[in-house]
Amino acid sequence: MFPWNYGFHWSAASYIFLGAFYTVLMVVAATVISAILRTRRDLRAHEAEEIRWHSDFHDLPARDRVCRHVLTGDLQSRECPNAFDCRHCETHARLTALHPPEQPNETEEEIFGMSFPLDRLYHRGHAWARPEADGTVIVSLDELGTRLVGAPDAVDLPQPGAMVHANGTAFRIHKREADVRVLSPVDGQVVEAGGPGRGWYLKVKPLNGQMDLRHLLCGAEIKPWLMREMERLQLALSAEGAAPTLADGGVPVADIAQSYPEADWDAVCGEMLLEP
Amino acid sequence: MDKEFIARGVKRCSASRFLLWILPWLALLAFGFYSAGLCLVKGLNQTNMDNRFAFGLWIFLDLTVIALGAGAFFTGFLLYILRVKELRAVINSAVVIGLVCYSGAIGVLMVDVGQPLRAWFTFWSPNVHSMLTEVTFCITCYLMVLAIEYLPILLKNRKLREVPSLLVFEFELHKLVYVLAGVGTFLSFFHQGSLGGLYGVLRGRPFAFREGLWLWPSTFFLFIVSAAAVGPSFILLITWLVEKISRKRLVRPEVLELLGRISGLLLSVYVLAKSVDTLVWINRTSPDAGFPAAQYYAWKPFGTWILFAEIVLFGLIPALVMLTPRLRRRTGWLATAAAMACLGVALNRFVLTVQTLALPTLAFDKFLSYSPSWQETGTFLAVVAYGVLVYSLSFRYLQLFPEERELQAGRY
Amino acid sequence: MIARYGMTIDVDRCTGCGACMVACAVENNVPPAHEGANDRKGITWIRVFQVNNGQDYPNRRSAFVPVLCQQCGKDAPCVSVCPQQAIEVDPATGIVGQMPERCLGCRYCMVACPYHARYFNWWDPAWPAGMEKTLNPDVAPRMRGVVEKCNFCHGRWHAAKQLAAAKGRAIEAVDHVPACVEACPTGAIQFGDLNKPESAPAQGAKNGNSFRLLEKLGTQPKIYYRSRKDWVRQVASAPKPGLGKESSGG
Repeated sequence: MFPWNYGFHWSAASYIFLGAFYTVLMVVAATVISAILRTRRDLRAHEAEEIRWHSDFHDLPARDRVCRHVLTGDLQSRECPNAFDCRHCETHARLTALHPPEQPNETEEEIFGMSFPLDRLYHRGHAWARPEADGTVIVSLDELGTRLVGAPDAVDLPQPGAMVHANGTAFRIHKREADVRVLSPVDGQVVEAGGPGRGWYLKVKPLNGQMDLRHLLCGAEIKPWLMREMERLQLALSAEGAAPTLADGGVPVADIAQSYPEADWDAVCGEMLLEP
Repeated sequence: MDKEFIARGVKRCSASRFLLWILPWLALLAFGFYSAGLCLVKGLNQTNMDNRFAFGLWIFLDLTVIALGAGAFFTGFLLYILRVKELRAVINSAVVIGLVCYSGAIGVLMVDVGQPLRAWFTFWSPNVHSMLTEVTFCITCYLMVLAIEYLPILLKNRKLREVPSLLVFEFELHKLVYVLAGVGTFLSFFHQGSLGGLYGVLRGRPFAFREGLWLWPSTFFLFIVSAAAVGPSFILLITWLVEKISRKRLVRPEVLELLGRISGLLLSVYVLAKSVDTLVWINRTSPDAGFPAAQYYAWKPFGTWILFAEIVLFGLIPALVMLTPRLRRRTGWLATAAAMACLGVALNRFVLTVQTLALPTLAFDKFLSYSPSWQETGTFLAVVAYGVLVYSLSFRYLQLFPEERELQAGRY
Repeated sequence: MIARYGMTIDVDRCTGCGACMVACAVENNVPPAHEGANDRKGITWIRVFQVNNGQDYPNRRSAFVPVLCQQCGKDAPCVSVCPQQAIEVDPATGIVGQMPERCLGCRYCMVACPYHARYFNWWDPAWPAGMEKTLNPDVAPRMRGVVEKCNFCHGRWHAAKQLAAAKGRAIEAVDHVPACVEACPTGAIQFGDLNKPESAPAQGAKNGNSFRLLEKLGTQPKIYYRSRKDWVRQVASAPKPGLGKESSGG
């Protein structure tokens, strides 16, 4: 094994053999050690939330990773390469420069009997963010999300002072067997936590000045997005054990979970709230 | 009861039913441990091996199981190095199969040697000219690589993912998986080959001895090709079996067809190479050593039928089936062909281990026969039980088949 | 002084008495066969085989062939296969030495040896009470799970070397005689240094009636057999191993 072992005979074969063996060992050790070191670096930089989202995003089925510009028809087909973080996306910047987002005429959209006010911006995980006059942002669950969970059995809210990251966890919801996290639309520090009773969930203060909300959906994007979400909901319900009852044009009730007691609600919520 | 450990959206049977499935395999494992324990405590006289049959059931098992586990490295190579994206559907299952095969083989090997505590001697004073040294080094390294490749699969368990450090570690490790795949391919190439070389270099056994290229007898290359051919077949077979037992669709049929096509192609190459090699051996190598080849097949039950079975029945025929698109589309035919291919490789390993030793070399030798003792069989069954247990646990609690959810939702 | 120890065995002189087998076992502390051992699991560093010419009475002729480790040349099949380098051809004596302390018990060398001259310890060695007094203090007994074989009574070689050194001279051929050579009543087995042309094996090797077992394999064994009978010489080259010629253990 080593040159100083008794009986070691130097020959070309020994060099090649032991050389290959030690090289393999070193490569494998280097791989594991570099993974460990990178892990430590990531944890110290508090990137666990971001990495968690990237890992989750990677596990989503391809059709759920569709670019927002496909929803609006700007592009034929494109899979989001940035895990829905459009803030740093060149394609998004280029397309918004070409077609600036139109301001719709109404103040709110009504789709399938659900109201989606247009004074706020929507995250694809069904949370919305509304900038307030004092510079903070209110974060809450949109109408579809609210009807999905109905009256939640429990909610895990972050403490005031805690940090939230865009596409990280905002809060957790428990309903029946479902235990799902809701994605946060914004970066910042939690100022106050609300709850389902108060009509909003979080009040978030941006860390450096203005909040960048380019990655959120607004205006004319909402309707096509919601059409697609209703399709997804239908598929999710039939896939997770519900009997096919959601006919075209039907309006989801206030507590969808109650209507489908046989469905795997954890899977349905996970599907809709983008937690694989 | 254990639903929080099971991935979201997939259906698994109840915990009590799972326990019912596990228990008989645990019992078999216990029996196997007892058999192996007897061999370790009382000595190898518990087996039916003897001075003429120095290698027996266990070595045959090791060779076969390592050939079948070759799917792990080959799928990894095709997916991460050659970027055949469809194989993402089976790579996790392949890694588990590989881990089980290699760890089982090493476990049995530790019982097979006379002094297991001296296993480190091979590392301390290796004989670089010996094929067995090469095998030992490569298999140990490769088992390490497989364990590291299994880690991300394990860490993606629903509960373990909740721990941030484990999640981040899995993420970082997965980014480097192609390095591991490359190392695994390099190691596998050499140890699959060296296992063949074990027999090919035996100048004292003209039945097994082959000429070749430089250091490596032809069996070196034949073993590599046959292992690469049968690896995908075994994955195909196991996937089909698990689909039948769990009554779920786990992969798209196109993936199974792809595995069949790869296997069929390599199997055809193997059959061609083996035929050429056999002809050279019959006409040149063996007669040059003073042993006309026909005499090997004069002993019952090892007649020429065994050569025919190995090359044509379990080699050419499954290759042709797997290469015919019409037949490939029918899973019944595909699974049967895959099973036949696996049997063919097992037969090849059997012939080289047992037939080589059964045949006399000296004029005053006898043709001898060997059948394993119950302790040997028990130890062999322990490996099977161990494999089923590890695979069952992995299937239940880990995401072995990424396409399962989509298939279940009927979206493919 | 480089020696190449070898043997010449005159098959015509061998009576099949088996004295060589007994002497070998006694000299080398080979344990008595364990209960449950059959002739395939026993340890016989030297073993006498009976061969015959395949014909019926009254033309049937038999002979006895003692088979031991053939002490192959530098390309001994067993040397290159041992993963731990527990076997080497001693450059000073040409003896193929086995190190039982290093042997892992993988039995690969046993598979490699075409002469079946290697034996495995399937049991722990055990001597019945009182029999330990017969043990040879110059030879270490081997433990369970390792391979052993004839080493031309290497213990005797060491003892002879020490004696010669004590006398202030180098070891000479006559100082070292393996147990089987010493025990053979007809002198069928002769031992010596093949590098010395006057030694018995060197003379035997040159003899026209000499042959080695399985010569075509290229193992270059140092054991030369000799017989004036054609059919005995044919047996050695084994054109049809196991077929035609009956065999039985000695």
